Amino acid sequence: MMELRIILLIVIGLIAIWFGWRVFRTDSMVRSAFSLLASMVAVGAMFLVMEAEFLGVLQIMMMGTEMSIMAIFMMMYMMDPGGLGQMDMTHQEKPSIVVAVVSGGLALAVILLTKWGSIVSQAPPPAQQNYDLGIEIMERSMMIFESAGFSILTAMVAALATALIIHNNHKKKD
Amino acid sequence: MVLTVALIIGTALFGIGLYGALSQTNLVMIMMGVELMLGASMLNLVAFWRYLHPDVYSIQMFVLVVMTVMALEAAVGFAIGTQRFRSKGSVESEESADLKG
Repeated sequence: MMELRIILLIVIGLIAIWFGWRVFRTDSMVRSAFSLLASMVAVGAMFLVMEAEFLGVLQIMMMGTEMSIMAIFMMMYMMDPGGLGQMDMTHQEKPSIVVAVVSGGLALAVILLTKWGSIVSQAPPPAQQNYDLGIEIMERSMMIFESAGFSILTAMVAALATALIIHNNHKKKD
Repeated sequence: MVLTVALIIGTALFGIGLYGALSQTNLVMIMMGVELMLGASMLNLVAFWRYLHPDVYSIQMFVLVVMTVMALEAAVGFAIGTQRFRSKGSVESEESADLKG
């Protein structure tokens, strides 16, 4: 059972990495947005393999909507959405590769050198997980949950205030 | 073993996201890089929950908070992009030197 799970994790993880890489390697913006969608759905599938059913389904649903919206915005705001002009959309490429490889290598060293302790083989069943997560939200983590809700409200107001044209009527009078 | 595999996949995704966020010129592409990095961090959190502490649910709570941050980042980022596009006609980071304080 554990071997099957490792194989599934590796296969789905490689799919996620491949599509994540395709995001920055394709010229077409729609392809780029949908590659990111595929990568995020693969991450959600990995949640499902790791028996976090609620989070996995939530991730897949959220990313499905978010990336569709992102695809529309990309076509609106890109100078070359179809990739037909062969524009170069990158800058400081070499330093970014170096930074990414160095930080990834550091994280890899931490992963391989840390003793993570014994692996728990049995996770709680999904219904029990959902129940316990609900109790956690309503008891110990309630303040965090409330502040997450409040920050959503703040972001909604901030997004509207930034994006809308606000006419200043006082200025017109004088 | 299984925890290491999940963490290494998360590291690879994080590295790709970091490369994208640093190297792309368009605001929307930079946001895609940030989304990849946040997705990688969620993957790490779920792996830690499943294989080290399946009885501690604050980790799942943390994943929910990261998911919220992903959505909020997209909303506020698109709002800034909309305003920028309206006033300057592009969201390229090369042309945003006037935002420097």
